[in-house]
Amino acid sequence: MSHDSHHAPVACKTELAPERSDLGLIRPDRSTGLIDWLTTVDHKKIGILYGAFAMFYFLVGGVEALAIRTQLARPDNDFVTARMYNQLFTMHGTTMIFLGVMPLSAAFFNFLVPLQIGARDVAFPRLNAFSLWTFVFGAFVLNASWFFEFAHLAGWFNSFEWHKALVYTDFAPANGWFSYAPLSGTFGQNGQALRFTGVGTDFWIIGIQVLGIASLAASFNFICTIINMRAKGMTMMRLPVFTWMTLVTAILIILAFPAITVALIELMFDRTFGANFFNPSAGGQPVLWQHLFWIFGHPEVYILVLPAMGIVSEVLPTFSGKSLFGYPIIVFSGAVIGFLGFAVWSHHMFTTGLGPVPTAAFSLLTMAIAVPTGVKIFNWLGTIWGGRVRFTPPMVLALGFIWMFMCGGFSGVMHSAAPADSQQQDSYFVIAHFHYVLLGGVLLGLMAGLYFWFPKIFGRMPNAPIAYIASGLVILGFNVAFGPMHYLGLAGQPRRTHTYHAGNGWEQWNYVATIGAYILGIGVALAFVNLVWTAFRGKKCSNDPWDGRTLEWSLPSPVPEYNFAQAPIVATRDAFFEDKHGSKRIGSEPDGGEAGVHMPSQSWMPLVASAGFLFIGFGMPMMAMHVPHAGWLVIGGLGVLFLGIWLWALEGPGGYMLKTPVKRGAPVPTETVAH
Amino acid sequence: MSDTAAAHEAPTSTGIDHKKLIMWLFLASDCMFFGTLISTHLLYRKLFPAGFTDAEGHQRFIQQLFSIELTSFSTFILLMSSFLMALAVSAMHKGQLKSFRRNVLGVIFFGLIFLGCQVYEFTHFYHQGLTIQNSVLGSTFYVLTGTHGTHVAIGVLWLILMYFYSFTGKLRGHMGALDVEVAGLYWHFVDIVWIIIFTAVYLVEYLGPYGIWGSGLPAAVK
Repeated sequence: MSHDSHHAPVACKTELAPERSDLGLIRPDRSTGLIDWLTTVDHKKIGILYGAFAMFYFLVGGVEALAIRTQLARPDNDFVTARMYNQLFTMHGTTMIFLGVMPLSAAFFNFLVPLQIGARDVAFPRLNAFSLWTFVFGAFVLNASWFFEFAHLAGWFNSFEWHKALVYTDFAPANGWFSYAPLSGTFGQNGQALRFTGVGTDFWIIGIQVLGIASLAASFNFICTIINMRAKGMTMMRLPVFTWMTLVTAILIILAFPAITVALIELMFDRTFGANFFNPSAGGQPVLWQHLFWIFGHPEVYILVLPAMGIVSEVLPTFSGKSLFGYPIIVFSGAVIGFLGFAVWSHHMFTTGLGPVPTAAFSLLTMAIAVPTGVKIFNWLGTIWGGRVRFTPPMVLALGFIWMFMCGGFSGVMHSAAPADSQQQDSYFVIAHFHYVLLGGVLLGLMAGLYFWFPKIFGRMPNAPIAYIASGLVILGFNVAFGPMHYLGLAGQPRRTHTYHAGNGWEQWNYVATIGAYILGIGVALAFVNLVWTAFRGKKCSNDPWDGRTLEWSLPSPVPEYNFAQAPIVATRDAFFEDKHGSKRIGSEPDGGEAGVHMPSQSWMPLVASAGFLFIGFGMPMMAMHVPHAGWLVIGGLGVLFLGIWLWALEGPGGYMLKTPVKRGAPVPTETVAH
Repeated sequence: MSDTAAAHEAPTSTGIDHKKLIMWLFLASDCMFFGTLISTHLLYRKLFPAGFTDAEGHQRFIQQLFSIELTSFSTFILLMSSFLMALAVSAMHKGQLKSFRRNVLGVIFFGLIFLGCQVYEFTHFYHQGLTIQNSVLGSTFYVLTGTHGTHVAIGVLWLILMYFYSFTGKLRGHMGALDVEVAGLYWHFVDIVWIIIFTAVYLVEYLGPYGIWGSGLPAAVK
């Protein structure tokens, strides 16, 4: 997948002796093959890897969702056991949020942000690789619990002594994606640490903890990149809106994730070391878990949706042939959403009995947050208004986003009214609401992004008729699946219940919802097949097939590894569009001349350091299971982590010089640069 | 951990070095981290002001365990280590490697004294009956101060590695000074957090009904 296969080679590495670190270790130096993908520090390749893993986990989470819907298709069904059902909805939620949507957003951050701000890479390329591999190992640990579950069901563990000590045997997590204490916690006095749930919860705790580290490291990196690596003339108010939303999202992540990190540490201490943070028998307050979780969990909702809003804010102007209506307002409302996102967490907890004053305050703030969201909707409508609208797959998906997200927003405002929410709590109405936001909003937005930028990422155009069919199936299936859930919820069907009896009036709409879920599944699968096929075999397209507006469209497709042969100088918003059709040209800084441009060296160390999390990830649940000597696995993992970071620091950023073509985008013959 | 795309590249958009900016961002995040831990502790102190019950079933107050003299001493030591850290950063900016090494050794030494005091305090409290398992107070106290101790220990390890690295001759110039300054930011932050913990966890206990200006501990437990 090297860009060399599509274009005449435009650059060549300097012929230097292999780089060695202080300890004499040779740094990897490949531009193709497995070693390249494992050691790459190129933000574009890291972005593609994030995207590939995210799409894989979307399918895993989708299969879990279909199993849930199959179970609920008929009353008193026994397609899965009650326990397996709990595990399915827990892992479905966790997978979709942490392993599907967040990494797919991260894929866009990685691929696009440096291109949109006119930079050659992120601020810390190796830290970026560390984020990727930490995410990969965290996701692996979380999902490995399924293998333990099936091995246990098959009876493979029966011969082990420690297995007999297990009272509860669920290996895959079964607490719901929020793992409320005391269900996820402990009871009993003086460190007895008796548990309601099995080791699945420990897998969940350590898995989310590791994924949090990945998200934090990536967010530090992206804030740093956006603030510090903008091209000349790229002022903050000239940043593309997607980059702006990335910045707001990253700020939300670094301020919200510490709360869940601490909550997870406390829960881990409860379960593994017999502490009493959430232990009701010793005076611990389970409701504290809810507060800590939602102080993270509500900003998390905006962490999921803001990148999709950013994508839509790029797609709509492009296909309306107009600049974004009210750019400063849309940026400002994004920032306000981020800010208010920290002040509404207790609307998830209206039924816990907060008292009238906090309930009223959180009600008001929740209504208030609908204002900047509504402002954005009107900005998007204003963008389309009077424009020369071209219908393409990304545009159709973006329009679907506005419509469906708005539906989710309306039912969201309904939840802000505390008395109404008390009736809707824990019912299918809530499921309907947040799937309209997360599927109708986030998934449609991300799919629009995939169809929009795929030509840039791979230089190939997805098949439009299949894209339309897939988009149609997704929008249709999603409405058929989740529309009836509004009704089911108000008719009293509870969430997280593995079955229901006939005679409640729920049978018909549950059956319809299941049909919708399968249509949706077929649609998403078709879209992914279409995209994967495009990546390898799709029809080649020009560098700027959509008449794009931002800097990334000024580059060849696929983008060469140095991004910009000459660093651009920007004079306006939508710089590339102005360059093509307006009066303001993109300037370019003088390049390094004969020396070429400086590129960071590849490295094994991010992968080595994050491999430590693999050992920690398996060691902690084993410790909680009282597997003998499991603590050594954790200590070994910390050792690997430390070793990786130490060697990482010693090897330094490194780097090599790359000769680039003289003029932007114009290929020059291969030549080896003498050093 | 220390890594930039190209150390010698063009100046950044803001003029702030990447490494310094990312450390500030990390510290912003760490504020929320400690904020959550301290909130947990204070919340439970308000709910259960009466302390804990030890292994013999006696009601104990945390004021009976605290040795404010010892903790004041270790707080003073940590403050002074920040002073030495500032001197080390300043020496590095002037390129005075020997002065840097002397001061950084002082920081390491003071950091170790602080950690020693904490180890002593933990063992002492444990023998007095406060464990992580027997009360909410034990859980919040040990996890909060232990997390801070872990931060100090990581800082000490970082500075030890930096001390030895300075002998390779590669810790020099603008980048060397930057590396030291970034470690300094971390160290000062951990110090400031301790000032807050010292106030919120130790000093305020002496203000309540059982404190020096209150009616004192109930006669039964004196």
